[in-house]
Amino acid sequence: MRYLSKLIIPLLGLLLTACGQPSGPPEKGTVLEAWFHTGRPQERRVMEEQVARFNASQEEVEVRLTLIPEGDYNTQVLAAAAANRLPDILDLDGPYLASYAWQGHLLPLGELLDPQLRADLLPSLLSQGSYNGKLYGLGVYDSGLGLFASRSGLTAVAARLPSSPETAWSAAEFTAILARLAAHDEDRLVLDLRLDYSGEWFTYAFSPLLQSAGGDLIERPAMARASGVLNSPASQEAMTQLQAWLTYTEANIDGNSFINGRTTLSWCGHWEYPRYKKALGDDLLLLPLPDMGQGSRTGMGSWAWAISKNCQKPKQAMTFLHFLLQAEEILAMCEANGAVPGRRMAIALSENYRPGGPLHLFVDQLRFGVPRPQTPAYPVITSAFQQSFQDIRHQGEVAAALDRAAKTIDQEIRDNDGYPARVRP
Amino acid sequence: MKRLATPFTYLLLTLLALIFVAPILFMVVSSLKPDEMVLSSGLGRAFTVAHPSLANYADVMERLNFPRVMGNSLLITSAIVASGLLVNSLAGYSLARLRWRGRRPCLILILALLIIPFEAIAVPLFFQVTLLGWRDSYQVQIIPFIADAFSIFLFYSFFLDIPAELEEAAAMDGAGPWRTFFLIVLPTAKPVFATVAVLTFLMRWGSYLWPLLVTVGETYRPLPVAMAAFENQVKLWGDIMAFGVMMVLPVLILFLLCQRWLISGIAATSTGHKG
Amino acid sequence: MRQGSRAEKTAWLMAAPGLTGLLLFIALPAALALILSFTSFRLGSPLAPHFVGLSQFQRIFSDGTFSRALANNGLFALLVVPLQTGLALALALLVNRRLPGITFFRACFFLPVIFPMALVAVVWKLILAPGEAGLLNTLLHTMSLGAWQPVDFLHHPRYAMGSIMLLSIWQGAGFQMIILLAGLQAIPQSLYEAAALDGAGPWQRFWYITLPQLKNALIFVALITTILAFRLFDQVWILTQGGPHQATSTVIFETVRAVFRRQDVAKGAAMSVIFFAIVLLITMLQQRLSRQGREEQ
Repeated sequence: MRYLSKLIIPLLGLLLTACGQPSGPPEKGTVLEAWFHTGRPQERRVMEEQVARFNASQEEVEVRLTLIPEGDYNTQVLAAAAANRLPDILDLDGPYLASYAWQGHLLPLGELLDPQLRADLLPSLLSQGSYNGKLYGLGVYDSGLGLFASRSGLTAVAARLPSSPETAWSAAEFTAILARLAAHDEDRLVLDLRLDYSGEWFTYAFSPLLQSAGGDLIERPAMARASGVLNSPASQEAMTQLQAWLTYTEANIDGNSFINGRTTLSWCGHWEYPRYKKALGDDLLLLPLPDMGQGSRTGMGSWAWAISKNCQKPKQAMTFLHFLLQAEEILAMCEANGAVPGRRMAIALSENYRPGGPLHLFVDQLRFGVPRPQTPAYPVITSAFQQSFQDIRHQGEVAAALDRAAKTIDQEIRDNDGYPARVRP
Repeated sequence: MKRLATPFTYLLLTLLALIFVAPILFMVVSSLKPDEMVLSSGLGRAFTVAHPSLANYADVMERLNFPRVMGNSLLITSAIVASGLLVNSLAGYSLARLRWRGRRPCLILILALLIIPFEAIAVPLFFQVTLLGWRDSYQVQIIPFIADAFSIFLFYSFFLDIPAELEEAAAMDGAGPWRTFFLIVLPTAKPVFATVAVLTFLMRWGSYLWPLLVTVGETYRPLPVAMAAFENQVKLWGDIMAFGVMMVLPVLILFLLCQRWLISGIAATSTGHKG
Repeated sequence: MRQGSRAEKTAWLMAAPGLTGLLLFIALPAALALILSFTSFRLGSPLAPHFVGLSQFQRIFSDGTFSRALANNGLFALLVVPLQTGLALALALLVNRRLPGITFFRACFFLPVIFPMALVAVVWKLILAPGEAGLLNTLLHTMSLGAWQPVDFLHHPRYAMGSIMLLSIWQGAGFQMIILLAGLQAIPQSLYEAAALDGAGPWQRFWYITLPQLKNALIFVALITTILAFRLFDQVWILTQGGPHQATSTVIFETVRAVFRRQDVAKGAAMSVIFFAIVLLITMLQQRLSRQGREEQ
């Protein structure tokens, strides 16, 4: 027992000191709490610097930042929303925005936003950030999805190198190229689909195939049902094609197959550009996703800033968002995470994204981007689609997998009475 | 026959011990390697490291406030263990040795609650603590877990068997129930205290679901959640393994220090349970 | 008389903190779960929840997902309980000898128990890595003299559940070993001596003395493992998210997913109620078994 008390008493001491830690008195009139998801350390560092710069520039307002790891972010926001404890400002993964907006947790931003700035924003950001005709989310950057490739690998099999979404490979052409590449490869695994990722990646990366084939996740614009769309012949065809391509993909858990030269192609997003560029140098090539018949489509939408209903000082909160949306601040963030800058002004200043830059394709193809459905049902849509992707990946029957997903989504919409638009008292 | 049996036993023991320790060894060795070398093929290379380096450990320290997270875990777990021992032993003692109205119903209630798994009540409990405004704090991770039906039951079974003469002698000296409990009964109950302490510690130290739901940033987050978040976030296997080693090291030291005491403690109580 | 009521008050006071805690943090949420399971309540929904009777339960059982998860839990219990208990018994028998260095071996077997499941899962993710990079794949390849073709354990419909079982057994066997070891040490030595006089060999002694004497400890261990089998969650959440083809989804996994991925609290609560009923059933079965065991003795 004496032994135990020797252990416990110092620990209790620790308890008291830890509980007594002061959170610091507010130094300025208005303190705004902000949550930010953290992915890469560089991104985190830039965010902290931006907040510091903003605070230094303000007399009255102070932003306090809480960093939350990306993996748990949505669970945590959900929990906070249920507890009505959302911070003043938070960033949300684009497609989840509608759900929080419908639940009445978010403030519409349209009237607070500087109209000049609005005109300069990428249209893709405005459309992904809107729900029911109102703007709730402001992205600082958009995302880019494409096929990274080794130029020499493709030239070796005499593949055509498309440079714009209009000239993308057709599905048949892509299949033929994979077969030719595989013939020269010991294990025949020449395509990397980043199967080491999880969750949202699968919807983000592969739902554009549905749309390119003439299908979709849900019927638009009403977004009232998935049956007949998600399991339509066009969607089935797209997923059957993907299932065939999956026989050329390598499973790994470290995402290194492309940079180690084990695969020639990597289906991936803008965020891997710095790492890929470092590994492949001038041999790195960026291509649009294959065209399934109706033209190449791309994934789009990324994290966006929102202001919660709990915020007592929305104008001040908007000052912070305006600050983040200045061209130089956008560029600082995009420097860190490699994303597509959210304003035309910033794109023109960006080495990578301006016309002629190595990643200009990401900007160019946003013309053909389809926002992930801006409906409160999105969490269920994506979860159902992810499950069907997993089933298809493991040789499940495509039609059955898509039927199941469509049924789940329709059930969800019915359960919520079709998400009637009305403001909570 | 016996001469042959002993070397065979040792052989078997060594083989089994290797299987049990290999994953741990793999973790330690990997933590000393550069990230891209962790998944290098070849059996030999998995357990050897050419140029051991602590770079991964430095990396972990840079990427998150490790002492804070470790401190959170130690604090939460030890607070639950310490207060749980007191609260549950008192309840167990009262139920086993003292006479009061409502004792039987309480006993039945405890037996019923014993089998409610935490996962089944996590969601309503989440709402409750939300109403109390407890989210993202230490108390939300401590207070709901202090009273524990299983611990009370273990104490109850143990106290049921202590000889009545002990208490009678104390009563002769004029000691009330409190003094009897703390001065007479408690010293005889070391094994059950040790067992409950260890069981509670292991259970709480590894708890994942609850803190995942109720903590937000790093401020109050315990190790298992930090570990999963870290894994999800970095995908740098050397760093992740270093995190693992740092996470388990304090418990390992604690375990090695009081190994004999711990194992005999569990043994003493669970045979008592056999009744 | 006065003294009696004072003593009673003291007794109440001693039990009160523990009982209050149990009522507030176990009984109350359990009652809440039961109530919620008959409603349409959704986390954060602006729609007013209403009473839906048994339709949550109906839906849970008509949709194959939950039944599949339940079957997975059953399969897990069916395989892991005997395997893990058997292994733990073997280990306990092995370390229940007065040999030099035996505490070292005991410690080795117990070591994984101090690993939190979140860490175990991550370490094993690496061990089970797909392709030639994975440790287990390499090991099997070497041992089979090259016949083993590398597989993606955690994503293979046939191996995923097996992998989860393997790491769970690895983590849990040491703890059961300790409980069984204690049981072994409580068996009176005189029984063995008498048996030896009667000329019983080691196998006979094991069958006719060790096993019957160990019966209650074995039932206790099997019960705990069965309940843990039905509570399977951390590993699945971190490693497989229930996939592939729902091969590793479990009751708790489905519950957490319903609530925190789909905000469907009522459905989650209904699943919890079903889960509780199952655990209750198992416990009652165990009570009956061990009562029988005691009567036979």
